[in-house]
Amino acid sequence: MIQLTATSDRGLNRAVLLFVLAMLAGCGVTNVVIDGSFPTPNINKIPVSVAVLYDDALREFAYMEYSETGQEEFNIESGLSHVQLFNAVLPAMFDRVIVVESIDDAQSQGVDAVFAPAIEEFQLALPAKTKLEVYEVWIKYNMRLLTAEGDYIADWVLTSYGKTPTQTFLSTEAAINEAAVVALRDLASSFSLSFAQVPEVRDWLGSL
Amino acid sequence: MKYRLLNTNNAGLLIVLLGLLASCTSTTVDEFRQGETGIENDESVVILGRRQASDYETRSEFVECVGERMTRGDNSIRVVPEQEFVDAMFPWFEPRTAPLRTRDLEQLMAEDVVATKMNEFGIRYIVWLDGFTETSDRSGSISCAIGPGGGGCFGFGTWEDDANFDARVWDVGSLSSVGTINTDATGQSYLPALILPIPLIARVEANACSRLATQLKQFVLGS
Repeated sequence: MIQLTATSDRGLNRAVLLFVLAMLAGCGVTNVVIDGSFPTPNINKIPVSVAVLYDDALREFAYMEYSETGQEEFNIESGLSHVQLFNAVLPAMFDRVIVVESIDDAQSQGVDAVFAPAIEEFQLALPAKTKLEVYEVWIKYNMRLLTAEGDYIADWVLTSYGKTPTQTFLSTEAAINEAAVVALRDLASSFSLSFAQVPEVRDWLGSL
Repeated sequence: MKYRLLNTNNAGLLIVLLGLLASCTSTTVDEFRQGETGIENDESVVILGRRQASDYETRSEFVECVGERMTRGDNSIRVVPEQEFVDAMFPWFEPRTAPLRTRDLEQLMAEDVVATKMNEFGIRYIVWLDGFTETSDRSGSISCAIGPGGGGCFGFGTWEDDANFDARVWDVGSLSSVGTINTDATGQSYLPALILPIPLIARVEANACSRLATQLKQFVLGS
């Protein structure tokens, strides 16, 4: 009899615990790791060798979206997907591309330039806040091109935008991921097509 | 036995009624032809959704539906899947870089890499689909309750769906626009609930897809 009561109490406690955990999970932050595949650009290569330098800020980039009450709502980790994107795009743009850990490494590799991308700003727009039936992601970058010695060649701002419509069976996490992947594709397309048109880059390419 | 017969009749009547109500969709197709068309066996069509607007975008499911229907039946046409084409053409057909006018297509085809890929796919026509389905005039209400003895819903809801899509056809051979087909489908959906909700959904987008695909196929074939 005592045993039975104890079992019932344990069962009840477990149910209460599960309920409390479920409630807490509903209030906590949701982690979204951006994951997508990026095609290789179909463009003519520029005959230069480039070292690419991904700093920790880019590799570990994450953006926190807060709810209207100031609570942490979505933590969007996009650093790794940015690295994957550049690794897919850059070899299609230049004759030779190597990834380096520092400017000194680039110098010893005898490359023509060092490319160092940085994310300056990340914005997310959710349908619940905008009242539009789309999820939107907007990212602002600072693209830097340096000589192998670390001297300035060019420094320009690039923005990318991606959106995905709300769908009945698509979760918010999946929709944010889709919008971010569209934004990353937008970055790849505008970067690869506009690179040689940046005035300082054009002058540098002309001087080689 | 008598009771069972009555039930079967009622079920039949209900199905007929549901069918009639669910098919309350009207579709209008307008065609505007600007040039001659025709397609060889080794040529194909690609259907792409326009995604430049800020507040909506042409759903890829609709684009897929039209393409899939064009490949069916007599005189079927080879249709290159949208995602396969856009990925192979990357970065030239992304929302920001895609050609908006035939003049832009002319410039794009001057790029060797683009022209080569276009030839590999055997693309003769590019069809740009632009549009969306809008829901309006929602009215009625349904209440649901659940208790120890069971649960159920009671009430009535209704709304109207309007699917409006434009299909602009570009001839890759002559680098010109050869025509536009507009499809507008409207339908009223009902949701009566008497213990169980019974959705009577007007298949507006499916009808728009079917009619547009049929018309596009005839248009491209030149008949």
